[in-house]
Amino acid sequence: MLPPVRNDRFLTILALVVGILLIVVAVVYWALPADDLPSFFPGHQAGSDHHHVKHGIAAFLLGAACLVFAWFRTGPKRTTTTA
Amino acid sequence: MIAAELISYPQAIVLGLLQGVTELFPVSSLGHSVILPSLLGWNIHQNDQYFLTFLVATHLATAIVLLIFFWRDWVRILRGLGRSLRDRSIDPADSDAKLGWLLVVGTIPAGILGLALEHVLRKAFASPTSAAIFLTLNGVMLAGAELLRRRAPVTADEDDVRIARTVSWKGSALVGAAQALALIPGFSRSGAAMGGGLLVGLSHKDAARFAFLLATPIIGAAALLKLPELLGSAGNGVRGQALAGALASALTAWFSVRFLMRFFETRTLTPFAVYCFVAGLACTIYFVS
Repeated sequence: MLPPVRNDRFLTILALVVGILLIVVAVVYWALPADDLPSFFPGHQAGSDHHHVKHGIAAFLLGAACLVFAWFRTGPKRTTTTA
Repeated sequence: MIAAELISYPQAIVLGLLQGVTELFPVSSLGHSVILPSLLGWNIHQNDQYFLTFLVATHLATAIVLLIFFWRDWVRILRGLGRSLRDRSIDPADSDAKLGWLLVVGTIPAGILGLALEHVLRKAFASPTSAAIFLTLNGVMLAGAELLRRRAPVTADEDDVRIARTVSWKGSALVGAAQALALIPGFSRSGAAMGGGLLVGLSHKDAARFAFLLATPIIGAAALLKLPELLGSAGNGVRGQALAGALASALTAWFSVRFLMRFFETRTLTPFAVYCFVAGLACTIYFVS
């Protein structure tokens, strides 16, 4: 088991990476039609020119939440920001 | 145009007036907008594109009214959010910042559930019979929240200070997620949020205030997301009716929020629970028979 400080740092880095990834995913959803999405993306559909705007918004919201979480974890009063 | 034949100006005004009231009263606006046209024999269906476009305008009007009504509160809350981001921490004494983040935490699950399930649930439960059944269950939910509610602490703090101290992050997420119930026509978003607020220890007044603050970004974002439909070809022939409905909705929403903020200073959800149960049951029997 990791010591608390390292675990804390690990969570922050994880939130940062996941947040950035989710925002990239959001941009991909907004930019590409369903046909051009990578096949492992939910909503990929061959021959469809539909843009999954809602998928993009959901990914962006979650990504932003992860980044905000990481931002607060690096702040001076960590205990007040956790649920 | 076809839409103009399907929804007249008088119908638009009646539906707008109804929307403004039922969006904020804990009695399900979606349920009423399914049930009432059916009771009156109007050829309006919940999943028709022109009706969805019409609803965008009435929802946007309701969100704008809420934003104006709580304008000063939103300015304080946004400043609090800014302070906490700048300091990278939430000062326990900064109730505006805490309330702001509680609203963010409550809005995210509601938004994601709404984005994921809105289309599916609206299609699955669009019939007047199912809306009537769920309206009955909404009454049961409100009554249940009253029965199970935790006794709210009596303090001399200001409303937002009390809310910020009482609601936990987890509680806010649960109250926010509960709003997703309203994706099913018959369940009330404000009812679910107020009921959730009572369960996490808020008073009726604070639960109503928290529910209305939570409602503003959700209703506004949902309406803004679909606004291009109203402004695009889907809005052809329905924009005039939508404007009439939106003005009617704004009028009743304003009086509704003023009334409810005073009502919940001394009263409970029980009258709405009784109304939903009785009206839902009566409509269910009527539609089934």
